[in-house]
Amino acid sequence: MTPENLLNIAILITLLPLLSFLINIFFGKKLGKVSSYIGTTIMGIDLILAVTVFVSKVFNTWSEYLVQNADKSLTYLASDAMVQLKYNWFSFGRLNVQVGIGIDNLAAIMLVVVTLISFLVHLFSTEYMAGDKRFPRFYAYLGIFTFSMLGIVIANNFLFMYSFWELVGLSSYLLIGFWYEKDSASNAAKKAFLTNRIGDLGFFSGIMILFFTYGTFMYDEIFGKMATGLIPFDSGTMLTVAGILVFMGAVGKSAQFPLHVWLPDAMEGPTPVSALIHAATMVAAGVYLVAKVFPMLTADALLVVAYTGAITAFIAATIALTQNDFKKVLAYSTVSQLGYMIMSIGVGSYMTGFFHLLTHAWFKAALFLGSGSVIHQMHHSAHHFHDHHTDPQDIRNMGGLRKTMPWTYATFLFATMAISGVPLTSGFLSKDGILAGTMAFGNLTGHWLIPIIGFSAAAMTAFYMFRLTIVSFHGDFKTKIAEHTSENKFVIVFPLVLLVVLSLWFWYSPNPFDANAGWFAHKLAAPKTAVPANLQWDFLLTEEQKTAYAEKTSKAAEAKANIKEALPATAEGTELHKEAVAPEANQGAKEAAATESKAVGELGHQENDLAKASEHKAEEVKTEAHTTETAAVKEEHKTGEAAVAAHGATTHEAGNAHAEAGTHGGGHYVNKFAEEMHHFHVPAMILSLIIAGCGIGFSFLMYQFKLFNPDALANSLRPLYNLSYNKWYFDEIYQATIIAFTVGFGKVLAIFDNKVIDGIVNLTGWFTKLVGHITAIFDNVVIDGLVNLLAKVTSLFGAMIRKVQTGRVQSYVAFVIIAIIMLVYFLK
Amino acid sequence: MNPEQLKILGSSFLGDLLKSVNLFYPETALVVTFLLAILVDLFTRNRPSCKMSGYVSLIGFFVTAIFLCNSPQGMSFAGTYAVDAFSIFFKWIVLITSFVIIVFSFFSKELFGEERQMGEYYTLIVGMTFGMFLLSGATNLILIYLAIETMSMSSYILAGYTKEIKRASEASLKYVIYGATSSGIMIYGISLLFGLTGSLNLSGINAYLAGNNVNHITLLISGIMIIAGIGYKISAVPFHFWTPDVYEGAPVTITAYLSVASKAAGFAILIRLLNSAFTIHAAGDTINTAWSVMKNVDWTMIIAVLSVLSMTLGNFVAVWQTNVKRLLAYSSIAHAGYILMGVAVMNYTGVSAIMIYLAIYMFMNLGAFFVVMIIANHIDSEDLEDYQGIGYRSPWLGVAMTIFMVSLTGLPPTAGFIGKLYVFTAVLNSGMYWLAVIGVLNSVVSLYYYVKVFRNMFLRGAEKANQPIELSLTVKVILIALIIPNIALGIWFGGLVNWANASAAMILK
Repeated sequence: MTPENLLNIAILITLLPLLSFLINIFFGKKLGKVSSYIGTTIMGIDLILAVTVFVSKVFNTWSEYLVQNADKSLTYLASDAMVQLKYNWFSFGRLNVQVGIGIDNLAAIMLVVVTLISFLVHLFSTEYMAGDKRFPRFYAYLGIFTFSMLGIVIANNFLFMYSFWELVGLSSYLLIGFWYEKDSASNAAKKAFLTNRIGDLGFFSGIMILFFTYGTFMYDEIFGKMATGLIPFDSGTMLTVAGILVFMGAVGKSAQFPLHVWLPDAMEGPTPVSALIHAATMVAAGVYLVAKVFPMLTADALLVVAYTGAITAFIAATIALTQNDFKKVLAYSTVSQLGYMIMSIGVGSYMTGFFHLLTHAWFKAALFLGSGSVIHQMHHSAHHFHDHHTDPQDIRNMGGLRKTMPWTYATFLFATMAISGVPLTSGFLSKDGILAGTMAFGNLTGHWLIPIIGFSAAAMTAFYMFRLTIVSFHGDFKTKIAEHTSENKFVIVFPLVLLVVLSLWFWYSPNPFDANAGWFAHKLAAPKTAVPANLQWDFLLTEEQKTAYAEKTSKAAEAKANIKEALPATAEGTELHKEAVAPEANQGAKEAAATESKAVGELGHQENDLAKASEHKAEEVKTEAHTTETAAVKEEHKTGEAAVAAHGATTHEAGNAHAEAGTHGGGHYVNKFAEEMHHFHVPAMILSLIIAGCGIGFSFLMYQFKLFNPDALANSLRPLYNLSYNKWYFDEIYQATIIAFTVGFGKVLAIFDNKVIDGIVNLTGWFTKLVGHITAIFDNVVIDGLVNLLAKVTSLFGAMIRKVQTGRVQSYVAFVIIAIIMLVYFLK
Repeated sequence: MNPEQLKILGSSFLGDLLKSVNLFYPETALVVTFLLAILVDLFTRNRPSCKMSGYVSLIGFFVTAIFLCNSPQGMSFAGTYAVDAFSIFFKWIVLITSFVIIVFSFFSKELFGEERQMGEYYTLIVGMTFGMFLLSGATNLILIYLAIETMSMSSYILAGYTKEIKRASEASLKYVIYGATSSGIMIYGISLLFGLTGSLNLSGINAYLAGNNVNHITLLISGIMIIAGIGYKISAVPFHFWTPDVYEGAPVTITAYLSVASKAAGFAILIRLLNSAFTIHAAGDTINTAWSVMKNVDWTMIIAVLSVLSMTLGNFVAVWQTNVKRLLAYSSIAHAGYILMGVAVMNYTGVSAIMIYLAIYMFMNLGAFFVVMIIANHIDSEDLEDYQGIGYRSPWLGVAMTIFMVSLTGLPPTAGFIGKLYVFTAVLNSGMYWLAVIGVLNSVVSLYYYVKVFRNMFLRGAEKANQPIELSLTVKVILIALIIPNIALGIWFGGLVNWANASAAMILK
């Protein structure tokens, strides 16, 4: 497939769901049930196309072809081989706004994730939503939602990203509030929308900072310019701020602390919607965004990202422990897992973070659709008994469903195992990677809190997910409603089975204990950071970046030092030969400085060449010595401790160290972090196995074998239990602080608005009317009147206000002549 | 003709003529169309509802378009007629408008209601198109005058085409008298200018003014008189008095035609006159360089005054209108004001902005008039009060009208916004902030009456929903065809802007 075709198909993939939306929104009433067939078929085609794109992009080598076509409008990002198309949207003065789409491996994988989940949700809903009075509309909304999400995936610039980002916000609003007759549903939709807006505001500001600095929205151009040293307002802090602001978008969409409150409420939407929005698409958009902008995040920004993710993972996991609503547990579990992904990218473990997004998409969709399967049956059953008081979503009303719904149970159990990190599942692979990443980060930076949170969240996840499974599926029927359930139809079971099959390990790696053995790890290498070296974690830099930076700083310092040395001489010279000689001395000093720094630069070059040559010779020996040395240099620069005098020596040392390291050879790791992660792979795996085992075992002991009484435990830990059960009182806190303040402020503003603004507006309106009136009167009275003055002075004030320019063509003519005379008179 | 023969002819009169013919194909095609339309009409006269003549005109326009696509550029007919990118841009606007207007006419109940002979109608539109083509390229005062007369003659008749309707014939009569006066004033101005400079060609006038002393006042008077003649074509205040009456009285199609095509042609000649005759151009001028005015006549101020008057009067009086056609008449006066801001800038950025504006204005105004016509076909009224509930009776018309009104107001994401954006940017770049401020304030006022139209359609008269207006498929297709550019040019305007930028330069000699 040529890149042109690839891009065309990607555009087609994006537009097809829009077609589904258009058909179903305009012809839905006539189509009725048929709309679901149309929507599902379109998504089926979309899925096939997405798989085609995925296979040809991820498993082909593009670089050669692309280099040949480099002169055309198709360009690519060298580090990631992004096939992309740029289109000049408009030019306005010097401002040239480009848009376009681009497919890299990240996007190609994401296309499959989105289309597959969307397809399965379409299929699932044919049964689940059957009989709903707005059935076609539901399919229309699914269509526009999928369209928006795919738009985010294929964007290669912030402008498109942001537009589709907002479209996702809108379409999720429509879907969450689909049953808007229920107050809870429409409130949840509003909450989701407004909470997201807060994040989007940050995102937008971030984009504006970037656009202001770089004059473009294109990712590759921004990162490219950033790598050459251009940063916003020439300040590292501002770059960090820009990164964090962009990340705020992700905080909103991916329901990260403190904006996570909307996601659990959003469970008010139909369950297939929960699966679509909360497993694979909308919430994943945030993670996807962070992955896309990973190259521009500074060390400080990454730390914020990592801690945000960790805190979210922890808080959500603790809340999920005590919830009784089937979907609420899954909702908090989603928030927690999203925190995991964000945390992973934040610590620099880019690949595992996105890997978890992928594996999580499958098993979380399976869990949500499984919950849909259960709730669907519980509803029907409750309906059968005319029971409208029992909550069909409360797990305390279930129990024993294993017997009536074997397929749902089996798939749900497997998905639970995957999310808990049991070996042979995809979840184990990705979770293990993330934990290894956090441990590596802890070891390199001393932020050990992050891995600790990671492991404790893993333990809790295993516990609450098995609690959910055991309470709802095992044991005896707790109500007659549960007893009356039966297995669902094929269209509901099939997606579950398919998703579970995709959660097996072998799709991703032949070795069930090592993700690095598989294609995924190789096809999704972390992009090179574009942040200037002094603002980035040292261990995330490649060797070349470090060398380049060390050279640059030492050269600058040399030149500075030389000039400083020369300066006293100049001063002396000035004193001695007051007038004429001074400039000469200055000149001489400057020249000396220039020559010296030039010489030093050349020396550096030679050293560098030498080092590079030897590097190639021996590739297997590690580079630790070198890295630490250079890191030391860097640290000194950073803190400003490096005194001017020390520079010569340091540079020398660095050069030596470089040469030495070169002799001993470079590593096959991209950077120090990758190496460290490799070290922590086995310990992390063993630890996570033990921890997941404990969580699962504890859950079984408590709920299956009833060795402990959960209520007794809850009583003994009442304050903690209450905190968890009440979701850390986030909603109450927000209600009491931010919302109360906003409402109060709004009221004040309303008063101001009513009294002052309305007054002004009314005044303006009145004035405008008056002026209009006067002008109209002028046109009607004065003009017509002037003419009548010429013809009949007496009828000047007749009833001519309403006689607008009628009949008196001679008056028009007269006035034209008067006008000309006046123009000449006033403008002469 | 072989090269040798050409060489012999050299720069002789005949040679020039032969060379000019190559540049005159689009106009020739129009003349042939004109004759064919008459001929066809003779054969189909006994079947009044026959549209054959109209179809011939459409085909003729199509052929003209092909010639226009491949048109070479140059000066023709002894320097009296310029075929340059500038004139071609305006010819496209005129041609597209004429084409659309003839298509509109096929749906007009007003025109076809009385078993009227329609042959001349199409013929006259073709003739008027020819006149406007000439006006876009004319660089000689006599040709300018002739071109204006050619288009005026046709438009007088067309305005009164529904002659049994009293207000139509009245409008036509007023138009004739008013037009004759304006034309008289203009030719007086022309003769003064000729007397002053001894030349009729704009380049000759320019050369004379650059090299000799002339009486400042005489030059001013002659200029203002000529501008008065052109001002009547573009209905700029205070030369606008005919506009409301004629717009209201004429058939809707002709109103639309006058408001778009003749206005565009008028602006073409106004810009060319100022650029070619009254200002000096140095070789190193960029598109942002202001044209330097000769003899200290403050053309900028004259145009700016006309602009402010047109905007303000047009908008403020439009607020009080109850007849939609009359409302659109005042609105078109206001739009002439906005466009005049671009002229007042007196540089190529302004010219380019005007061209963008006119191209967009064509789509939005034609759209609005088409909806007015279709509504009049169904409810026999153009009164704003009778528009109540139209949005419910026909969502197609309601939505379309809303889009056109929003576009006319100049709100994103419609094309109208882009037009205003470029004009205002040109004005701001040239430093005339006060003019831009007045323009923006006027836009705000205009929102009031534009919104009033679709407010009546949607927020009033919901109870009429049970009397639906059914539209034929062709009408829906035309509506969509008019809506698309109004939205699309608001989003993808790069192409139009580039085209306008490339066309802003004029051939001077």
